[in-house]
Amino acid sequence: MKFKTHISVKNLSVWYGRHQALNNISIDIPDKKITAIIGPSGCGKSTLLKSFNRLVELQDGAKVAGEVLVDGEDIYNPKVEVTHLRKKMGLLSQRPQVLPASIYENVAYGLRIHGIKDKRKLDEVVRHYLKESNLWDEVKDRLHSSASKLSIGQQQRLCLARGLAVEPEVILGDEPTSALDPLSAECIEQRLLELKNQYTIVLVTHILRQARRLADHIIFLYLGNLIEHGPAEEVLKNPRYLKTKSYLEGKFIEEPKIDKELNLRGVIYPDNLIAAKLALGDLQFGQILKIIVDYEQAASELPKAIEHEGHKILEVTKLDKNDGAIIVQKHNGGYVI
Amino acid sequence: MNIRIIKENLVRRAMFGLCLFVFSLIFLMAFGLYQKSKPILAIVSLKDLLFSSSWHPTQGHFGLSSFIAGTFWVTAIAVIIAVPLSILTAIYISEYASGCVRRLAKPIIDLLAGISPIIFGVWGIIAVVPLVRDYLMPFFSRRFSFFPFVSDNYTGFSALTGGIVLAVMTFPIIISVVEEVLRTVPFEIREASLALGATKWQTIKYAVLKKARPGIIAAVILGVSRAFGETMAVLMVAGCSLGVFPKSVFDPAYPLPALIANTYGEMMSIPLYDSAVLLAAFILLIVTALFNMVGWGILLYIERKQASG
Repeated sequence: MKFKTHISVKNLSVWYGRHQALNNISIDIPDKKITAIIGPSGCGKSTLLKSFNRLVELQDGAKVAGEVLVDGEDIYNPKVEVTHLRKKMGLLSQRPQVLPASIYENVAYGLRIHGIKDKRKLDEVVRHYLKESNLWDEVKDRLHSSASKLSIGQQQRLCLARGLAVEPEVILGDEPTSALDPLSAECIEQRLLELKNQYTIVLVTHILRQARRLADHIIFLYLGNLIEHGPAEEVLKNPRYLKTKSYLEGKFIEEPKIDKELNLRGVIYPDNLIAAKLALGDLQFGQILKIIVDYEQAASELPKAIEHEGHKILEVTKLDKNDGAIIVQKHNGGYVI
Repeated sequence: MNIRIIKENLVRRAMFGLCLFVFSLIFLMAFGLYQKSKPILAIVSLKDLLFSSSWHPTQGHFGLSSFIAGTFWVTAIAVIIAVPLSILTAIYISEYASGCVRRLAKPIIDLLAGISPIIFGVWGIIAVVPLVRDYLMPFFSRRFSFFPFVSDNYTGFSALTGGIVLAVMTFPIIISVVEEVLRTVPFEIREASLALGATKWQTIKYAVLKKARPGIIAAVILGVSRAFGETMAVLMVAGCSLGVFPKSVFDPAYPLPALIANTYGEMMSIPLYDSAVLLAAFILLIVTALFNMVGWGILLYIERKQASG
């Protein structure tokens, strides 16, 4: 997995009041690629997306811990100017939200709030980005009529044009096609595919086919935990972990029943491997062992080594800032998941 | 016949009757007032009544213009003070304040709305009257000695005092409704604007307020309607001296409701006196109704314009 990182998330946790929506997410988002965040509803997809432009802070009682580095700069640093950050991140929301103004003013809005007044420049930008989002031909004769009169698919394209007009680096899409008819959705997808050469695109989607069509990179979240991520090919075709597999196959996701738990905090490789092997030896075939280790251990050789022994790794998760868990099923030839 | 059906019919008719009764009250009132004010309209021309300022009941002069002017002075001052202040307060409460402040502010504002007008009147006499008399009036007469500020009334009981008290009384209504209206603006609109890098104030100015405009106008109409008809507090602080046509915010004003409250029932032996006072009431009713209708008309127009673009 070699790529240029654009957004780097480090130990990001988000709480809404007492409810923890994201638990210690650490992930890199590749530059100028489409990254799809998938997962069942309520798993924190949108929260993760909105933490990239700090919109998450607007929710009542939201609390954020950890770092999100955009171009190497932590955006949660109090010195960062949030308007400047958000200008870098175009947002396409679930339902298109046109501002109560004309089509022209919707696209020009972003420029106006950033202080551009030159009429000729505005005209030019509006035309350019309406063309870019494939809307120009449909609206060029009624630029000054209300944007709310457009169809919902046109509205979403207008939102795209509006977002692009402020020249962002990243496009964040929060299920941008979910409210649209198939044709409009197709149109937006096409635009995104064309735009990925110029922009880093992060897309929340609950449509797996869409993820397959568009994504270069996949992030799978479940109940606020990062379960699996990687190149789309790998994750979608050969998911490594049980939950990803269940989700992709449309099965009910259930927590594996843990038969034995092993605490190996502070134990390093290969001592922890030996301990794990001993513990696995005590188990029946098909039974499940949960090993709690320091996260660096979980993220490195240990799972691979266990897998090499023939056991099946069901999940590797991060429990909190320091600790990780590896869930292993003792190998047995006949057991099919 | 099924007893349930009978009950159903009975209930529906009873409620229809009650509804009709409530609706007809307004017309009955208007009709009654018109009937009562007919005698004076038969003798004195409406033009004289509305535009003459000479009020000498014993001589048969019933010019209402100074009272009408007083009403407009007091109401206009109240609106000028109350509308911007309360809209900004509402914006602060709904957009900027933390949840804790919001939860605290709401009941306090509602409490303010529930206080009896007489208390506002007393407060006006002990707090606002001295303020106007000792600070505002001398300051303005020194620095701004031109049209709406020139006056020789040094008592502090003036149109401005009435307006200030009235403004305070209309605050809670406008704040409460505007805040409610702002809360109905979808959160996603704010998100869309903020996501483009707008500041909070830009978002409020260009997106939220635009979306909320019809509701805000409704709130203002509601507030002004209350200001129009408010009697007790204004009567206590606005001066209410006869024979003065208010030309300045510092002149005493004698609004229509105060006239009615003060004089109806006294000196009824003077011919046409009660008829003149009831004409004042009739005018007040008409003006309030007109104002409401115009207000709702504007509201409908904006709503339709927003819906169709």
